[in-house]
Amino acid sequence: MSQPWARAAAAGADRERIAATPHSFGVDVWLRFAKKPTALAGLIAVLLLLACALIGPSLSPYSYDKQTLSLAGVPPVFTAVVAPEAGRYFYITPNQKIIEVDDQGRLLRQLPMAQDLFMEKRVSYRCGPQDEGLVYLDYSAAKPALLDEAGNPLAATRVLWNRTYLLGTDHLGRDILTRLMYGAQISLMVAFIAAAVNMVIGTLYGGIAGYLGGRVDAIMMRVVDIISTIPLTLYVILIKVCLAGGLVGIIVALSSVYWVDMARVVRGQVLSLKQQEFVLAARTIGSGTRRILLTHLIPNAMGSILVTATMLIPSAIFMEAFMSFIGIGIAPPMASLGTMCNDATEALRSSPYQLFLPALIICLIMFAFNFVGDGLRDSLDPQLKR
Amino acid sequence: MRAYILKRLLMMLVTLLLVTLLTFTLMHVVPGGPFTRDKQLPPSVLEALEKKYHLDDPLPKQFLDYLSGLLRFDLGPSFKYTGKTVNDFIESGFPYSGKLGLLTLVFVLLASIPMGILAALKNGRWQDMLLMGLATLGVTIPSFVIATGLLYVAAFRLGWVPTFGVEKWQGYILPVLALGGYSISFLARLMRSSLLEVMGQDYIRTARAKGLTETRVIVRHALRNALIPVVTVLGPTVAGLLTGSFVIEKIFAIPGMGAHFVNSVTQRDYTTIMGMTVFYAAFLISMVFLVDLFYCLIDPRIQYK
Repeated sequence: MSQPWARAAAAGADRERIAATPHSFGVDVWLRFAKKPTALAGLIAVLLLLACALIGPSLSPYSYDKQTLSLAGVPPVFTAVVAPEAGRYFYITPNQKIIEVDDQGRLLRQLPMAQDLFMEKRVSYRCGPQDEGLVYLDYSAAKPALLDEAGNPLAATRVLWNRTYLLGTDHLGRDILTRLMYGAQISLMVAFIAAAVNMVIGTLYGGIAGYLGGRVDAIMMRVVDIISTIPLTLYVILIKVCLAGGLVGIIVALSSVYWVDMARVVRGQVLSLKQQEFVLAARTIGSGTRRILLTHLIPNAMGSILVTATMLIPSAIFMEAFMSFIGIGIAPPMASLGTMCNDATEALRSSPYQLFLPALIICLIMFAFNFVGDGLRDSLDPQLKR
Repeated sequence: MRAYILKRLLMMLVTLLLVTLLTFTLMHVVPGGPFTRDKQLPPSVLEALEKKYHLDDPLPKQFLDYLSGLLRFDLGPSFKYTGKTVNDFIESGFPYSGKLGLLTLVFVLLASIPMGILAALKNGRWQDMLLMGLATLGVTIPSFVIATGLLYVAAFRLGWVPTFGVEKWQGYILPVLALGGYSISFLARLMRSSLLEVMGQDYIRTARAKGLTETRVIVRHALRNALIPVVTVLGPTVAGLLTGSFVIEKIFAIPGMGAHFVNSVTQRDYTTIMGMTVFYAAFLISMVFLVDLFYCLIDPRIQYK
C-alpha cells in the first residue's frame, strides 16, 4: 500500500479486508464522545464530584452537623491581627469574637471575655496562656479594632489560610468542606433517584401511547399537553407541601412531574420504530404487546432515553436547590447545597464565602451534567443533533 | 379561525377545571388538616372553625362552592391571617410582580433577539464565541446564584444600587437582570440557531440573487421566519419569569405575589396556596393562549384546524 490509490490485489486475503479496525457500538459512541473536549471535561468533573460526594464525608475529620460555636464564621482566608508576642495572631469574627490563631493558620481557641466596658465601647478579653494579660476590642468605629493592654492599637495584620477548616466554618461553626461534600451527596442522590423514576414513568407512558396509537395515544397525549401547560414548579411545590416529609417528600415531588418530556421523546421514537420490519417479524411469531414494547422497542430507543435522562439530572438538582432556597427543601440537620445557600443569605454581607462556595458547586454540577448530556446526545444519536 | 379560537378557549377551560380539581384534591389530602398547630385546639373550637370555613360539608359540595367562588373571582379567606382574603394578597402583590415581570420581559426581548442575531451573523467569530459563552453561563447558573452574586457585588461592595426595595427605579435593575438571565440566554441561543438555519435556505439565496442589500435580506426575509421559534417559546418564558420571581422577590425583598406565595407555602396557609396556584395557572394558560394567537398572525402558513 505504498501508493495511495494503487489497485488492491484482485485475489487473496486482502480482497475484502477492512482497513479500519472495526468498532462495536459502545466503542464507537465512546470515540465520538471523547472527541468533544467539553464532554470529556464534563465527564471527568462528574466523576470527581461523585467521588468527593460519596467518599469525602467519611474521610473528613469533621461531621456535617457537629457545631463548634466558639469557632463559628471563620472564612477560608482571613486577615488576622498580629499579637504583641511572636507567633500569635488574633482573628476578629463577624460577630465580634476573638479567635486565637497560630502562625500556621490553625485556629486555637476563642479568647474568654473578661469585661464588657460598654461605656468606652470596648470589650476586654484574656489573652495569655494562663489567662493573664488583656486585649481590648474597640467597637467605637465602623471597623472593630484591637488594642493592647496599654490601649495602643495593634495595627499590624497578616493574611492567613485557615488550616483547621480548609473552607472555613458556617454561622454555627460547622466545617464547610464536609458540609459541601455531604450536601453534594444529598443533592446528587435526589437528582439521580428523581431522574431514574422519571425515566421509568416517562418511558412506559410514552412507549404505551406510541405503540398502541389511535384513541389511546390521543387521550394520553392530551393529558401530557394539559400537564405541560401548567408550570411544573408550582406542582412540585404543591406536592412537596402535601407530603410534608423532608427527603422522601422532595424525591416524590420531583419524580412525579418531570416525566412529561421523557414521555414525548419516547413516544416519538416508538412511533417511528414500530413501522420497522423487526416489529412486524416479532408480531408475526406471536409476541405480545408487552414483549414487543419492553424487549424490542424500548431498547432501540435507549439512546434518546439516556440523553433525556442525563439532561433531567441538572434540572432536578436545580429544582431541589430552588425549593431548598425558598425554604421548603430538606429539613435540618440534613443539608443539601440549596439549604446551605439559603442558610447563608442572611450573613451575605459579612460572610459571602458561605453562600458562594455551595453556589459554585451547584454551578459546577449543572455545567458538568449539561456538557455530558450534550456530548451523549451528539455521540449516541447523531440524528438528534440540533 | 373562529372555530380554532373557540376550540382553544374550550381546551383552556377544561385545563383550568382540571388544575383546580387537582389543586383542591392535593390541598385536601394533606394529613392533619389546616388547623393542626403546635398547640392542640379544643374539639369544640375545632368544630366551630370547621363550621365557619364550611369544612364540615361533604367534599364535592366544598369543591362546587369553591368553583362558584372562582366564577365570582372570590378565592376565599386565608386560614392563617384572620380577616385577610386570598384576593387581598393578590391585589397587594400583583402590581409589584406585574411590573417586575413586564419590565423583565421587555428587557429579555430587547437583549436576547439582538444578541442572537449578532451571534448568528458573526458565526464562528469572537463575537459569537463571547455571546454564546455568556449564554451557556446564563442557562446553567441558577437564578438565585446570579441574584445573590449581583446583590453582593453591585449593592454591598460597590453601592451602585439600593440593596432592597423598589421605591426608587434603581431598585429594579438587579431583580430584572437576575430574573431575566436564564430567558435571555435561552432565547439568544434559540434565535442564533434558528437564524443560522434560515440563512441557509434557498429563498435567502434568491433574495440575494435579486440584488437586495444584505440588511434588507436579513430584516425582510430572514428575521421574519427566524422569529417563529422564538415566539413559540414566549409562553413558557412568561411561565418561567413568573415562577422565577419566587426567589427573586425573596432575595430583593419585593412585596410581590411570589413573596406572598412562598410565604403561604412555608406557613402552610392552604387556602392561599390553593388560590394563588389557581390564579397563576389561569394567568399562564391565558398567556400561552395569547402567544398562540399572535403566532397565527405572524406565520400565515399555520392552518387553523
